[in-house]
Amino acid sequence: MTAIETEAGTLQKGSAVGQSVPRKEDGRLVQGQGVFFDDVKRKDMGYLHFVRSPYAHATIESIDVSAALEMQGVYGTLTGDEVAILTDPFFQIAAPPGGHVKDYALAVGKVRYLGEPVVAVVAETRELARTAAEYVTVEYESLDVLVDARAALAEGAPVLHEECGGNLSYSGVWEWGDVDAVFAEADHVVSIGELHFDRFNSTPLECGGALVEYNRGTGQWTMYTNNQFPGFAAIMMGPAMRVGLDKLRIVTQDIGGGFGNKITSHPQLVVCCLLARKLKRAIQWTEWRTDFHQSMSHGNERWFENTEVAVKADGTLLGFRTKAIDDAGAYLRYEPLGGVIWSQVAAGMYKWRNIRLEFTQAMTNKAPVSPNRGYSRMQQLWFTERVIDIVAQTLDFDPVEIRRLNFVQPEDMPYETPNGCVYDSGDYPRAMDMALELIGASGIETRRAEAASRGKLLGLGIGSTLDSGTNNFGQSQLINPELQFSGNNEVATVKLDIFGEVVVTLGTTPQGQGHETTAAQVVADILHCDVDIVNVRAGHDSYWNSHAGFSGTYASQFAVTGLSAVKGAADMLAGQMVKLASMVFQCPEEAIELADGFARIKDNHEAALPFMALGAIPNANNAGFPDDPPTMNCRYVYRPPFDVPDKERKFGNLTLTYATQIHACVVEIDPETGVTEVVDYAAVDDCGVRINPQIVEGQVMGATAHAIGAALWESFVYDEDGNLLTPNFYDYHVPHALDMPPLKTGAFESPSPFTPLGTKGMGEGGGGGIHCICSGIQDALRAAGGAIVTDSHNPYHRVWEMLSHPERSREKIEVTSR
Amino acid sequence: MSTTSTTRTISVEINGTSYERNVPASLLLVHFLRDDLDLTGTHVGCDTGSCGACTVQLGGEAIKSCCMLAVQADGASITTVEGLASDEGELTPLQQSFHEHHALQCGYCTPGMLMSATALLEKNPRPSEHEVKVALQGNICRCTGYWNIIEAVVAVGEGETR
Amino acid sequence: MLLREVEYARPATIEEAIALLSEHDGARALAGGQTLVNVMKARAASPDVLVDLADLTELRTISFSADQSALEIGAMVTNTMVISSSEVEVARPILAEVAATIADVQIRNRGTVGGNVCVNDPTNHYPPLLAALGATFTIRSTSGERTVSAEEFFVGVYVTAVSEGELLTKISVPTRKPGTGDAMAGITLGAHGTYVASAVATVSSEGVRVALGCVSSVPVRATAMEDRLAGGDLSEAAVRAAAEGLAASLDPPSDVHANAEYRGHLAEVSAIRAVLQAAERAKG
Repeated sequence: MTAIETEAGTLQKGSAVGQSVPRKEDGRLVQGQGVFFDDVKRKDMGYLHFVRSPYAHATIESIDVSAALEMQGVYGTLTGDEVAILTDPFFQIAAPPGGHVKDYALAVGKVRYLGEPVVAVVAETRELARTAAEYVTVEYESLDVLVDARAALAEGAPVLHEECGGNLSYSGVWEWGDVDAVFAEADHVVSIGELHFDRFNSTPLECGGALVEYNRGTGQWTMYTNNQFPGFAAIMMGPAMRVGLDKLRIVTQDIGGGFGNKITSHPQLVVCCLLARKLKRAIQWTEWRTDFHQSMSHGNERWFENTEVAVKADGTLLGFRTKAIDDAGAYLRYEPLGGVIWSQVAAGMYKWRNIRLEFTQAMTNKAPVSPNRGYSRMQQLWFTERVIDIVAQTLDFDPVEIRRLNFVQPEDMPYETPNGCVYDSGDYPRAMDMALELIGASGIETRRAEAASRGKLLGLGIGSTLDSGTNNFGQSQLINPELQFSGNNEVATVKLDIFGEVVVTLGTTPQGQGHETTAAQVVADILHCDVDIVNVRAGHDSYWNSHAGFSGTYASQFAVTGLSAVKGAADMLAGQMVKLASMVFQCPEEAIELADGFARIKDNHEAALPFMALGAIPNANNAGFPDDPPTMNCRYVYRPPFDVPDKERKFGNLTLTYATQIHACVVEIDPETGVTEVVDYAAVDDCGVRINPQIVEGQVMGATAHAIGAALWESFVYDEDGNLLTPNFYDYHVPHALDMPPLKTGAFESPSPFTPLGTKGMGEGGGGGIHCICSGIQDALRAAGGAIVTDSHNPYHRVWEMLSHPERSREKIEVTSR
Repeated sequence: MSTTSTTRTISVEINGTSYERNVPASLLLVHFLRDDLDLTGTHVGCDTGSCGACTVQLGGEAIKSCCMLAVQADGASITTVEGLASDEGELTPLQQSFHEHHALQCGYCTPGMLMSATALLEKNPRPSEHEVKVALQGNICRCTGYWNIIEAVVAVGEGETR
Repeated sequence: MLLREVEYARPATIEEAIALLSEHDGARALAGGQTLVNVMKARAASPDVLVDLADLTELRTISFSADQSALEIGAMVTNTMVISSSEVEVARPILAEVAATIADVQIRNRGTVGGNVCVNDPTNHYPPLLAALGATFTIRSTSGERTVSAEEFFVGVYVTAVSEGELLTKISVPTRKPGTGDAMAGITLGAHGTYVASAVATVSSEGVRVALGCVSSVPVRATAMEDRLAGGDLSEAAVRAAAEGLAASLDPPSDVHANAEYRGHLAEVSAIRAVLQAAERAKG
């Protein structure tokens, strides 16, 4: 049983926390002085270009690099055969059979997705490496291609990894409550044949890459890269390369967006490391946009088949059962964690207690998936939002009122879900009302009539979502009981330097979330000094032990893990400063306070030590003290309070915090063409205590833009031969400035009772925009055939299909009533 | 009669400094800036000329430096993001406005945004919101959703930046 | 991405340019480069020789023909120049209106009208526009100069009447007579994005001309629709009736954005909208 300890946030809001302090990062970034990995140069470095597979599925019959090696300026190559000798396959998270996947840094014996790296060529210039790659000859024998996860487990389906005996990576049944009983007693059962969450990702503007050096004396590699989860990368790389983790130094400074898509670059990093050692020179690898689209970090495509929803006459949702089929792509790099992470929000925002979800994940000849903003929870929340909208439409309930009825209520918080997750705090009805007011919902019928006068269909959509943050990695044991991961942690150090400068290091790898600024705000308030004098080092460097096993920036947790580590270290330092002052003034510690940049005697402000003195004494002037003065150099590891979940029942608290976002939109559809436009938008966020409201709002805005793109334009579409039809920005359209609707935002704070600062992670957002645009489209179509939206991605041609054949979408929806 | 050659010596003025270099004809202007001249503020975000992270001013006009060969820039006067702030680090009102309006998160699109906006403001000192959107249409951002960026540029026109 | 090694020349005169283009197999003219440089980055095409037209100032002018009946646009005129040209505004403003929707400012600053038509990508803006306007194209070679119609100019996907060793020098667009209205309508992938379907219509005392982009390798004139509208009734009912069967008469390509049937439908709707808007403008 999960013990819930409710604890009020201990941080008193001082003068920095809670303010929209302009960012420290901006100065260098607006001057083009950021340091992104491609900005780092080394003399005589070799540029790396990958020879990539033109086939989605094929055996590699032979590789001939001789012609490339003969070219002047080509430094060397690396093939899968070498990789198979020099390294062991990457550790697999999956239990057998999925766990038998042999995943190497380059294709070994076989290629399994179009764009898979097969050979690496290194040369004097970028252009020469590309040209030399064309002179590498690879003979393939093509195999049948599998591009549909639903067909992956059928008899006779092409098998990607023979070692696994089939394409299954993970399957499991997740069931809580008494599902059969509620279906027996339901007044209505709504059946939904198929719902589909589409494949896309966040296309960070900076693609992947690294500058890797090898120190031949110490055997250590240094990787200047943009991997956003160095803890995970190192854990994957070390055993594969047969080296201790201290030999793998990962350094990040500025990263051009991550959104989860920069977590699984470890195979390419291994290639760079091997080549840096083999060729005795630094290796520079830059991934181009087409490479990224073809081969990196697609989000999980997921079907929900044969969904049934048990509903009471008054609209109360009692429970659901469904079969989720998830497409992992060709390799399991962070998967099958997607198979458990959805369960953080199994019930969505609703109070139903009876849930059965059969989760099956299969591998296909597509790019390997990896976390994508909203990872795996977004799919589940989209599912619950579709369910409630479809139930509302088929049973004639108002979408707002049915949500109000079914929401977990604020007085229920902290709320334990059917599977033991604890929603820490929140007020969903209030957030929804705020969103509806911001969008002008009360006047929607007037707007609808006005749009109709212009020949347009207008719809109002609501999308409610949660951003569950701060993972309990123990949930990995729910998909593979043999795994030895649990809990979470993050590290920060705060010190006073010899001249009293406050210096902070973080274990995190920010990609625009403003960690330097928010960390400085927290420290400034604890030390009672100005934000401007708190110097936070940019980026992550594993060399300096300012990191832990789970260090990185992912999964909506910095405001909890990173900032709680910062708070812990700053509290330690504050205590040390008080102690040192008491030693100097020879008075009790209770008589000392930190204020205005000094440590001073409360009753005698003249007796005050500036930070400079406090820093200098232990560092350079420490004689004469009977006891050791404190060092003023504090390292703190924040560990969130978690238990290992119950593997039998698949029950336990899997994340510490749940931020709320409720989105509302107005869409207009051209009934003659299916062209859909978002004409108005509101987003309300409740992420507990906001350290920097402007930064929080920026994250909400970015998540909104990503969701609008995914809802209307962005999709990784494959043909039956495994060719990606949207491999670059020509066909994969992302929103530009003219595509954005007007936006109103609102926020309030329901502090988390579980976190030291009352904060909650919120950067991912949970895909609220996708949910509300689907909802808006369905609402607009009520006046033109009443099609049901069953796909997360609704480009013009799909809306046209719903306009032309609304009955097709309703064919698979049935209501059985008592 | 002009001859063909795989390389060419070009003279370019960048941020007020003159450079003369012999470059391959196949070298993109963006790589000339980044790799040859160490002006790494201009970024590469795509391979189809779609994203605008590589935007610089050439003869005052915003152009995508990944869609141009260095040899085409022979004789041109170019401004990159490094040429905006003064040598003493004093930011332009536009850069300051970006800072105040939280118009950047990861900063990768920012140099391109600044150059497109600078080109706009030089021609149109008081642009409307729509005019700003049109000027920035060729600059993709994945972090901010554009709202704060547009606000920041409009604010410069309205003289709201300190 | 990244280019193969290539030879480069920057001629000072049109004659030099044509000589270079004739002399070298695999030589390509480089105009604004907004398409060609990207094609070369992808290595979808790798010319051996690039002939940079940047110094050919006589190709960068917009002027009237001697008898004032046509606007003569030099092949190297950029979209930005078209947008800000007072000659265009006076003589055929639809050119500026359409130019302003091409991609983005950066591409418009470098991209040229000549480059856009010589690429003849089915989704490009200028081919259907110039076909509808009845533009003519002047091509120069070592053996002289000839002028061809739009029908003769646009030959196939990425193929025009400009052969190896030849150079498009100018495009002549009839000036707008009083009582003429022009309009372009279509469906794009996002605002100012690539066209999925496009149509251009001109309405004048001489009748209606409708040209479709995106549905074939070259712009397609909707001749049946044009014929039905010859009577002068341009009410909505008449225009819709005239467009009936247009989609069915087409054989558009299928791609990830639209299958053939949907694209044909969008083309038909675009044609109707273009004609209605042109008719409205013809009145004013």
